[in-house]
Amino acid sequence: MISSEKQIRAFVGGHTRLHVRGLGSKPALHQVDAPILDLSALRGIVEYQPGEFTLTVRAGTPLREVIDALGERGQYLPFDPLLPDSASIGGTVASNLSGSRRHRFGGARDFVLGATVVDGTAQSYTVGGKVVKNAAGFDLTKFLVGSLGRYAILTELTFKVFPDVKRFRSLRFTYRVLADALAASYAINRSRFELDALDILPGVAGAAVLARLGGFSETLPARVERFSEFVATTTAPQHVEVIEDELSIWDCVAGLDGACLAKVTLAPRQLPALDAAIHGAKRRYILAGNIAFVACEDAGWLGDVLARQGLRGLLLRGDARSPLLGAPLENVLAARVKATLDPLGKLV
Amino acid sequence: MNRQFIEDLREIYPGDRLLTRDVELLPYESDALTAFQTKPGAVVLPENADEIIATVRLCHEHSVPFVARGSGTSLSGGSLPIADGLTIALNRLNRIKHIDPQQRIAIVEPGVVNLHISQAAQPYGLYYAPDPSSQSICTIGGNIAFNSGGAHCLKYGMTSNHVLGMKVVLADGSLTEFGGESLDGCGIGPDLIGLFVGSEGLFGIALELTLRLLPLPELYRTVLAAFDDLGRAGDAVSLVVASGLLPGAIEIMDRLAIRAAETVGANYPDAEALLIVELEGEAPQVEAEFAQLRELIQRSGAFEIRTAQSEDERARIWKGRKSAFSAVGRLSPDYIVQDGVVPRSRLGEALLQIDALKRRYGLEVANVFHAGDGNLHPLILFDGREEGALHKAEALAGEILAMCVKLGGSITGEHGVGVEKRDYMPAMFSEAELDVMLALRKAIDPREIANRGKMFPGGEAPALTMQGMHPLERQGVISRE
Ligand SMILES: Cc1cc2nc3c(=O)[nH]c(=O)nc-3n(C[C@H](O)[C@H](O)[C@H](O)COP(=O)(O)OP(=O)(O)OC[C@H]3O[C@@H](n4cnc5c(N)ncnc54)[C@H](O)[C@@H]3O)c2cc1C
Repeated sequence: MISSEKQIRAFVGGHTRLHVRGLGSKPALHQVDAPILDLSALRGIVEYQPGEFTLTVRAGTPLREVIDALGERGQYLPFDPLLPDSASIGGTVASNLSGSRRHRFGGARDFVLGATVVDGTAQSYTVGGKVVKNAAGFDLTKFLVGSLGRYAILTELTFKVFPDVKRFRSLRFTYRVLADALAASYAINRSRFELDALDILPGVAGAAVLARLGGFSETLPARVERFSEFVATTTAPQHVEVIEDELSIWDCVAGLDGACLAKVTLAPRQLPALDAAIHGAKRRYILAGNIAFVACEDAGWLGDVLARQGLRGLLLRGDARSPLLGAPLENVLAARVKATLDPLGKLV
Repeated sequence: MNRQFIEDLREIYPGDRLLTRDVELLPYESDALTAFQTKPGAVVLPENADEIIATVRLCHEHSVPFVARGSGTSLSGGSLPIADGLTIALNRLNRIKHIDPQQRIAIVEPGVVNLHISQAAQPYGLYYAPDPSSQSICTIGGNIAFNSGGAHCLKYGMTSNHVLGMKVVLADGSLTEFGGESLDGCGIGPDLIGLFVGSEGLFGIALELTLRLLPLPELYRTVLAAFDDLGRAGDAVSLVVASGLLPGAIEIMDRLAIRAAETVGANYPDAEALLIVELEGEAPQVEAEFAQLRELIQRSGAFEIRTAQSEDERARIWKGRKSAFSAVGRLSPDYIVQDGVVPRSRLGEALLQIDALKRRYGLEVANVFHAGDGNLHPLILFDGREEGALHKAEALAGEILAMCVKLGGSITGEHGVGVEKRDYMPAMFSEAELDVMLALRKAIDPREIANRGKMFPGGEAPALTMQGMHPLERQGVISRE
């Protein structure tokens, strides 16, 4: 088992092609014909300074371990890593996957401060820093978010973390048609209400908007009241419901079963056309309609739909030649980074 | 400058937008780090992206180095011209192309002034969050280059956190776009926005930016606390941060900075240190947090606490802080400002070390800083007319940077490396790290023409002279943080 940077460098040095895998929670990312560099044993928290609100952790560490360690000190990763019970922290960053709570403060890119990497030439070095603010040098750390292990191997990551909120309340607003739900999401998202999460959930008929408020328990009831009144008067929902067992509704990929599961990045104005085209699939829109999770039976079909609409998707589960669906991702700047960090094209 | 090159430029630019005469070039000789000056070979004033692209391609063809220039307010020599190079001044690309209040985005040209975006978004109840104190003149292109910040970047992040999409021309003339209108930014694939933002103009020129707007906070609540000891103010920061509150701004000023602020009529308490904490957000939540904050500050040993309950009172608290730097300019003929970062828990230690250093050098240092994220801004006061004073101040500044690195921090939090701090890069990065950055630069810009001589150590050093403050600073139009 590989559990040190030295072993990783040796592995890279000893192979002409290789593919990195963390805990393998997103099988579609790993359908490659290349030796697997398994990072599941590269785990553990390296340094956690609650007073500093920073955390350094090895890439293969299970998210659950990180989340629990932070939780003990009332802190959390505001980018709300997806698949908290099965993914590793490194894999989550490398595939840029966040859940609904990303809405409040941003994605993984907004919270990684630095990293230690091994590149395609088997060299290891650090990128970025360990303090919450740093403008020195090129920000390769951010570049590696979403890079799918194809430019360099993340071995250690440093994050900025935030204090977590103690109490939440969640509401479901239902609308007759999706367009009304989208209009409501627009109105809420530009209002002064600071939501923890804002999702759109298309139903068999109509659609729902799910909203989550977090804060002090003593102020929550009044805030919820003010908020529902605002939504009721500006968007006229058919039905308003305060959800009792609120935690369970925020697993944004729960219930999205099917052979395939994909993330799609979109602008909300592209949502109606996308939704019409994938009507038969199970789907949920998070981040006020800026990210979709789609479950379907055929990744090829979804890829075609996305390509036609100029959208991109990342397949997490299901069969496909490449996990990158839809519009091509080729980019001249990315190609030059690749030529620098992995000139032999080892990392696939 | 190569004759043919100038003639080719004339094909792109009419005479009044291609400057080559000495008197025309004078205003472009330095940026806000006025200690450095270099006369450019020529200056062009493009009015659209096509002209920029054609210009960059021409520079590449002739191997002529170029500097993109916004408003020239860089404090690190980032927009300092290159001798015999071309300065591409972008102020005329100042159109806000589109504001989409529903999607909460703005699409802008690079020469748009930071504050103008918030002004344009204001009718929709939105604003552009990053607020460098130069925001009334600095451009979004300059902000992109340095990943600029401001007093209110603690909660929602610096420039990079607010860019969703960009169109750029790379230094060899290739065009590329990344990201888009989604709040997910690059979303799928590597985060090219993250890489380009903060690259200090060394990769190419940003032609168009898609920015995220935020709803204007419903309520602000601001506390000003006076302490008889700087360390105690630092401890109060730790207390606030550890409490789980997430203020929009946490700022500290020391005695000398307070004294300076008096010259602009700040009317602050007579103290060794002042702490400003500001909460922002939804009214009921902010009110509840405010009660908690007041209690914390009371426990922290402050001898006087003022709170702002109205917009007026808030403005009064910020006035002295926002103008502290130009006010320091009234206490001393010259000063330089540093921008190092230390871990927040080591702020107290860092301040003590700065105190010891200034004694050793026999120079005055005023401290005004973003305490919430450990970003120091020591202002080193000196008199440029004294022989060797500037070099002494620069040496002290260097020791402060070395200290920041030693404490586990950074040589710059928001002003960038530029020309000024390039020799300190090896203190922060290993040889391997620097090699990779340099290799990356060469892969993107094989002729090394984009902002040549910046960021990397060992470039040809322009001579240091003393010129004093940015002219607009002297007039009090802008002030430093
Ligand atoms: C009084 C004062 C107060 C300040 N306060 C702050 C503060 O609070 N926080 C902070 O972070 N900074 C602050 N600064 C520093 C400065 O204002 C910022 O760095 C700002 O972002 C520079 O913008 P500019 O338009 O003046 O850029 P310039 O100085 O013209 O250029 C800066 C850099 O950007 C590059 N550049 C410009 N346009 C582009 C483009 N389109 N594409 C690529 N590269 C480009 C240039 O080549 C150069 O390297 C302050 C400066 C002054 C003088």
